Parts: sequence; C-alpha cells; structure tokens
Amino acid sequence: MVLSVKGLNVSFNLRGENIRVLRDVDIDVRRGETLAIVGESGSGKSVFCKCLMGLLDLNGIIDSGEIIYNNDNLAAFNTERDWRKIRGREIAMVMQDPMTSLNPLLTIGKQLLEAIELHQGLRGPAARDAAIDCLADVGIPQPDKRFKQYPHEFSGGMRQRVVIAIAIACRPKILICDEPTTAIDVTIQAQILELIKNLQKKYDLTTVYVTHDLGVVANVADRVAVMYAGEFVEIGEANDIFYNARHPYTWALLLSMPQWAKKGEDLYSIEGSPPSLAMHISGDAFAPRNSHALKIDFVERPPMISVSETHKARTWLLDPRAPKIDPPTLVHANQATPAKSFATTPLLQVRDLTVSFGKGKKRLDAVKNVSFDVYKGETFGVVGESGSGKTTLGRAILRIYEPSAGEIIYKGKRISGRISKEEDTRLTKQIQMIFQDPMSSLNERAKVEGIVAEGLLNLGRIDKKTKNESVNRSLNEVGLRPEFADRFPHEFSGGQRQRIGIARAMIMSPEFIVADEPISALDVSIRAQVLNLMSGLQREKGLSYLFISHDLSVMRYICDRIAALYRGVMVELADTETLFARPMHPYTRSLLSAVPLPDPNAEKEKRIIEYNPDMHDYSEQLPSWREIEAKHYVFCNDLEEKRFLLPYE
Amino acid sequence: MGKDKIKQVSERLNEREKAFNNKAFNKRASGGDPAQQKTSTRGYETLSESEQFEQAEYRPELTEPLSFVSYSYWRSSLRIFSKNKTGMFFLALITLTLLFTFIQPYLPNQKNPTLIHNDANGIQIRNQVPNDEFIFGTNAIGQDLWSRTWSGTRTSLFIGFVVAFVEAAVGVVMGVLWGYLRRLDFIFTELYNVFDNIPSTLILILISYVMHPSLQTIIFALCLTGWLTTARYIRNQVIIIRDRDYNLASRCLGTPAYLIIARNLLPYLVSIITMRMAMAIPSAISSEVFVTYIGLGLPLAIPSLGNLIVSGIDKMMEPTLRYQLIFPTVVLCIVTISFYITGNAFADASDPKNHAA
Repeated sequence: MVLSVKGLNVSFNLRGENIRVLRDVDIDVRRGETLAIVGESGSGKSVFCKCLMGLLDLNGIIDSGEIIYNNDNLAAFNTERDWRKIRGREIAMVMQDPMTSLNPLLTIGKQLLEAIELHQGLRGPAARDAAIDCLADVGIPQPDKRFKQYPHEFSGGMRQRVVIAIAIACRPKILICDEPTTAIDVTIQAQILELIKNLQKKYDLTTVYVTHDLGVVANVADRVAVMYAGEFVEIGEANDIFYNARHPYTWALLLSMPQWAKKGEDLYSIEGSPPSLAMHISGDAFAPRNSHALKIDFVERPPMISVSETHKARTWLLDPRAPKIDPPTLVHANQATPAKSFATTPLLQVRDLTVSFGKGKKRLDAVKNVSFDVYKGETFGVVGESGSGKTTLGRAILRIYEPSAGEIIYKGKRISGRISKEEDTRLTKQIQMIFQDPMSSLNERAKVEGIVAEGLLNLGRIDKKTKNESVNRSLNEVGLRPEFADRFPHEFSGGQRQRIGIARAMIMSPEFIVADEPISALDVSIRAQVLNLMSGLQREKGLSYLFISHDLSVMRYICDRIAALYRGVMVELADTETLFARPMHPYTRSLLSAVPLPDPNAEKEKRIIEYNPDMHDYSEQLPSWREIEAKHYVFCNDLEEKRFLLPYE
Repeated sequence: MGKDKIKQVSERLNEREKAFNNKAFNKRASGGDPAQQKTSTRGYETLSESEQFEQAEYRPELTEPLSFVSYSYWRSSLRIFSKNKTGMFFLALITLTLLFTFIQPYLPNQKNPTLIHNDANGIQIRNQVPNDEFIFGTNAIGQDLWSRTWSGTRTSLFIGFVVAFVEAAVGVVMGVLWGYLRRLDFIFTELYNVFDNIPSTLILILISYVMHPSLQTIIFALCLTGWLTTARYIRNQVIIIRDRDYNLASRCLGTPAYLIIARNLLPYLVSIITMRMAMAIPSAISSEVFVTYIGLGLPLAIPSLGNLIVSGIDKMMEPTLRYQLIFPTVVLCIVTISFYITGNAFADASDPKNHAA
C-alpha cells in the first residue's frame, strides 16, 4: 500500500455557504496498481486529487480525515514547505488540458530542465541529456530538435506527451492523471493511454486516473472507484465493477452507454441530475433518482458493505434484510440492425461544397469538395476529429458561413449564396441547430421564456397568450415543467439547460436539425436522457438530423448513415452498420479501431490502427469521390479501389 | 522575510476560515440558515425496521433538484460592494456632497454667487477672511466664496455628468459597431490609431482656443476626445462576447443584429459602462480645471471649480488669503476622489470572478 486515505471530509465556502464536497472518503492505493476514479462533474473527484497534492483552492478546507503517505499525514500539512517534499517528487500530476499546463513563453526544453535540475540534481550537459532521454521516453520523435521548440509548435497529443515527460522527470512514485485524454482526439487518446501504461512498467509507478469516460477506465484500470455526490459508492477490481456491479448508480452508468443499446430502442437512462452540493443529504444521495431505492435509503446513509474481498459498495441493497434485486444484465445489443429505408428524393443536398477562410497565402479550406444527401427522417452522422471541418460544414448548412464553391440545396431549392428575404425566413423556421455546450449556448441574462420564444418573436407579432402557449408546449415536449418559464438559465443543471436549448429550436417546428456535438459536454448519466429525447422527437415529428460528433459509439446507436471527414475532405460514407463491418478508407479504419469500449476484456484485445496521410500512393492517379459498392462511397483512386474491394480480412 | 509574510498571511486566512466555519456551523445548528436545504426523508424515518427495507416509491418528478443555484448577478454585485468599507464610505460622502450642492441655494441666508458685496461706504468687501457672514470669506472683488464654491461645484458636476453621458452614449454606439461588424474593424482600428496618437490635451486646447469660451465649448471639447477610449473598451468586450454560442443561436433563429446587440450583448456591458461613467466624471472635472488654469476655460461670470482654483492660486503666496485656494481645492478633491474610488469599488464588485467568495 502506498497511499491510504481515511475518513476524508472536505468542504468549500461558496458565497457564504458551506458546501461539503467530499464525505467520509476511504480508499487505499496499492503499490504499482492503476486505480481509476470515475464520476460525473461535481462528484468531487478532482477535489480528491487536489487534496493529495495540497492544491485545494483557498476556500477549501479539510475538515477531518487522514491521508497517509510514507508515515506522513498529508492532511495535516499546512505549509508550502511540507508540500514541496511531496509534490512532483513523490506524487506528480498530469492535467486535463495540455494547452494550458505548459508555459507558452518557454521552450519545452527549459520547462523540462527545470524539473530535472530540481528533482534529479543534474546540471549542465548532463541535465540536457537526461531531458532529451526523457522526451525520447515519452515517444517524441527527434527529441534533440524538439527540445528547443516552444509549446505552440507541438500538436495536442505531443503536448500532452511533454506534460507527461515533465511529470516523469521528477521520478515520482505516484502519478495522478486528471482526465488526461479528455481534450485529445480519440485516435491519439489511445496512444497516450498506451504510453502511460509503458511508463508505469518502466518506472514502477502507481497511477491514479480521474475520468468520466468508462472506455478509458476499461482500458487502463486494475481497480475502479465510483464516485457520486462526494462519496465513493462502489470500489472494486475492474472486473467486479464492469461485470458484477452492485450499486444502482454503477448499473445506471454502465447501462446508459450507447454500446449496450439496440438501435431504435430507448437507451437506459436515469432521470434527473446529481444533488446540489449545498444540500444537506440525509440518507443515500442517489436515492431520489434510484428506481430500486428502499425506504431506508431516504432516511439513513448506507454503510460500505463488502461483496467480496476486493469489492464493496455503499448501498442498502446488499444488507441481508433487503429484498433481492437482480442486477440488470449487460448484453452487447449492438447487433447489425437492418438499415431503415427512406424517401428517394433527398431533403438536403450538398454539392461540391468548399468553405474557406482567409485569402491568398493564408487561405485555409476548412471543407473541401464535400457532397452528400440527407433524406427525410434520417439521422446523418458526420464524424471527425478536431479541425476536420465538421463544425464548419454544419454552420455552412445553417448559412452562418458562406460557401466559397459548390452549393447547398434544400427541398430542391438552392439555399447558399443570395436568397430572397421570404426564403430566408422560411429556412430559418425549417433548419435549426442544437449546440454542444449548454453552459455557453443560453443567454444568462434572459429568462427561459424569452430564450425559448426568441425565434417565434422573430417570425412576426403574436399576442401574449399564443406566445405563452407555444412556450409551454415546447417546454413540455422536451420534458420541462411550464413553471420553469420565468426562471433564469443559471438555476438549471446541464441536462436541463440542454433541454431548454432543444425547446428553443423545437418551437420553430423545424424539419431539419444540425446537432453539433449535442452530448459531448454533458455528463454520462445525462447523455442518455438527451439522446432519448432527440430520437423521440424524431419519431414523433419525422425530423432529420445532421449529427456531428467525434464519438463513434454514440453515432453507431443514433445515426443511419455516417460520413467521415478528415481535414475537410470527406473520405468515406456508408450505412452505419456497413461502415462498422467493412470500413474501407484507412482513416475510417483507424477511427473505428480506437472506439473506446466499456468492457475491460474487449479493451485489452483492442488493436489500434494508426493513420498517416502519407500512406496513400497517389503518384499515378489522384483520388476522387466514388461509389465503390451500393451506397458506400470512398475517397480513393483506382489502385486503392481494387484493394478495398478485396475480401475483408 | 518573504516566507514569514506568506506564513503570516496563510495563518490569518486559516483563522478567518475557522471563525467563518464556526459561525456557519452555529447558524446551521440553530436552524437559522435557510440556505442549507435538507433532502427529504419523505417521512420514512418513522417506519419500523422491516418496513424501511421495503422498496420505496420511485417518483421521477423528484429526481431533479429544483433551483440549482440561487445566484443573482446584481444581488451578488451589491453584496460584494457593500462589503467594501472604503467604497461605501466614499459612496456616502459623494451622495452627501451631491445632495448638499443642490440643496444649498434653497437654504436660508444664501448669497448670490455673482453679486459683488459692498460695505456701508460703497467699497467692495475684498478678501474678507472667513467670518459669520461670509463662511468661506470673500474673494478679491468682494463676492461670497461660500456660494461661489457650491455654485462652482454645480457647474463642474454638470460638466462631468454631461460629458460622462455623451462619452458613454457615443462610446457604446461606436464600440458596439466597431466590435460587432467585422468588416468595419479594420477601418475603425486604423482611425482609432490615428486619433489616439493626437494628444487629447492638444485637441482640448485647440478647440477651447478657436471657439468662444463658454460651457458648451468646454463640454464639446471634452466629449470630442473622451469617447475614443470608451469605444475601444466596449469593442474589446464585444469581441469577447460576440462569438459565444448563444449569439450564434440567436442568428440561427433569425434574430436581427440590433436585437442581438440589445438583448445578448448590452446586458453584459452594463457594469462596464457604469464603471466607465463613474471614471469619466472626475476626469472631466479635472480637465475643466486644467483648461481654465491655462486660461482657456470658463469666464469668471460662470463660477466653476476651475476658475475658483485659478483665482485662488493668485493668493497662494499670502498666508492670510490662502483660504481662497484651499476651500475649492478641498471640494474638488472630495468630488473626484469619491467618484474614482466608488467607481473602482463598483468595478471590482461587478466582476463575476469576485462573486464566489
């Protein structure tokens, strides 16, 4: 055992209110293991890590409890001097965002040297050599050259490698990774996880991951601790948690993953959102959202009850007096479902669309020569990594960006370029958008009523009664109560805010909706609610969606067809199941190989295919967009087409 | 030394936190804190043990905690402001001064600020030191300094307020256009660079020199230069807010640009505009003093803090007559410093970043 936390209670002062963020947290971290702490935002998982590093914010206080490391009680440390012995040299941390954790004004070499000189006691050329070794260690090519470069000359994944190099340079015993891959593209995410695993072996590290992503957990964790509302609700080995979970919250987290759902059926979802931390919680914090809750859950806080030597959970369901409830079973329901059939005339046609920014030498084509059709009632997915142009494509359809070439046709009429005013109003009504981040997509200074009614008021004067009726109908459709209308957005949780955003689009009775990463910013337990809402609305109203996302597991569940974008070029387009069964383009293959699975056994067998744009041989013929089998389009040349059509190995 | 200091500060912080916690704890224990809500036990605590282990009723409508945070922007701003003791003191001081300036003419036994007082022999009562009749004494030509000082304060405040309003109005309109319309950005920025490089004192002097010295002239001259900074300030804020998703949402809903500006941008700028105005008032008053000092300001017939101070300066070398400089200067200091400190305190309080503590 390296680190042992006992009965840790932490609270914050926020606007004069005392908020308890960690309640009786007990956990042992064993030497050499990988412990993953899973929880939604606000569950207290980051606060827990900050306690281990002595980095609590000024208004946070450790009320009671111990953190025992090497016979020292870290919880009793109160001077920077004490902490300096621990930070970096014993316990090091890798933060979420590689953009902000490096100093942009210093070369990465300087930043790395600082750590090496301080912790390894090396000077001059010896320190430099150690730094270059360190960079090579984390898989940075040409480390002696890269040594002299500044953070902006590195890509996101490379930057995260540098951050890891700096953490490792201190030769810590414990490495805490706080959402280390959340801000990074999926294909690179897998590489970073692999890197941390190798370093762990090489330097005999104990790693603690903090994440909300069950795929990452399944990939790396030996043991898993599930956190809800500031307490650990279940702790066990990875297999215990993934295959034999006992706490209803863990069931809910696992079941709401779209990988388990059958297409066309609703996802398992838990209603509501976690309790506000300012509330004094009597009983089990999860009880109100738990359909399996016992009456005692509302009265008395459940104790940690052991299931096996390695596995314990904080739920009354494990008490011998409790009725026996069978845990819901997880099955891979994602079997191939027959593709739905749609009308033959397309609703939206995109023809050779190019959108570029800047002029002359600075010109950048964000979307290049993209063509596709979307049919009525269909969910058309666009997948791509950051910078692939998927958002630009969505915004071009919404007429926010002007195309520089090509056209967009909606219901047989051209909508790009100059159009008449009546046409413009008609399109505003018919094409709407759902946004990614519910925190930034609502005007904080307007009431919900004003936000939802905004579009309606733009269509012409209406009397108050009709307006209120429409607002109430719209709120009702998205599952919000009408009395929410005269509240302000900050009174709502993330999931509710996303619903307000959907209500704002739905009040226009649109036919086509561009959903730009509609669930990426939401917590795991809320995602299912929003996905169910979106597919429910589609069934009722025959909506068509352009679903933009980077998360193929969600897209497999919700999309009928998927197109992959790579640096503005559409490289492949096929029915969802065809794409998953027979991806042709190497980029799509690489994307598919990296999809995280909430299943430790499958994750361990997963093999990542790397994609490098130089692997194409376009010397004889340039690639073009061609239909190489029925409804399966790939961007390739003759040579590649032949190779793709060979029987799939 | 630095280490000791840090230790001291951190100890003080710890103590303060402990005291606060005790207070919060006592408050909660006595049940006096309405903010601390409890989750409902649904009355299950009275059940017997075996009943408590029954399945509870699942009520989906209770899964979402209501009213997630009770936070209001303006309430928090006021709360933070009221905690700032210096700010509150100067706010009280400026309010009292303002009130008094406007009440003063209606008080009994007040004299006409422009009337020249003669004694029984028809000789002007010159340079009379403060006494019962003339509270602040008289000036070199026998006018009552008390009423001149307050009348001058009125004039100066009038200049300050008019200039601040015009600056805010012009600055906001130009700033919003500059920030919101991308196409204009280049032209506006170049124009700004040109105008900003002409010293504003020069413009002030030139206009005061060319035009007939009067209240209008000085207001016009001050307005002409001041709005530029406000516009630049507003433009920067607009650029920060303009690309947030909710503005994009408004565009997708077909909301015209002027409504986006009015509903989505301006409410976020109110605190900044108020702060800029609070800062513009003292700076306009000081500029008036400066212009008068170099001899281009208001004629003596219109008393202002500027020309009172300038005539006071003439008497500075005679110790008995120094009061003629001191009284208007003290009033000027009270007015400008109060506005300045209150404005700064408000700026701090209205910054959402400070609302957490």
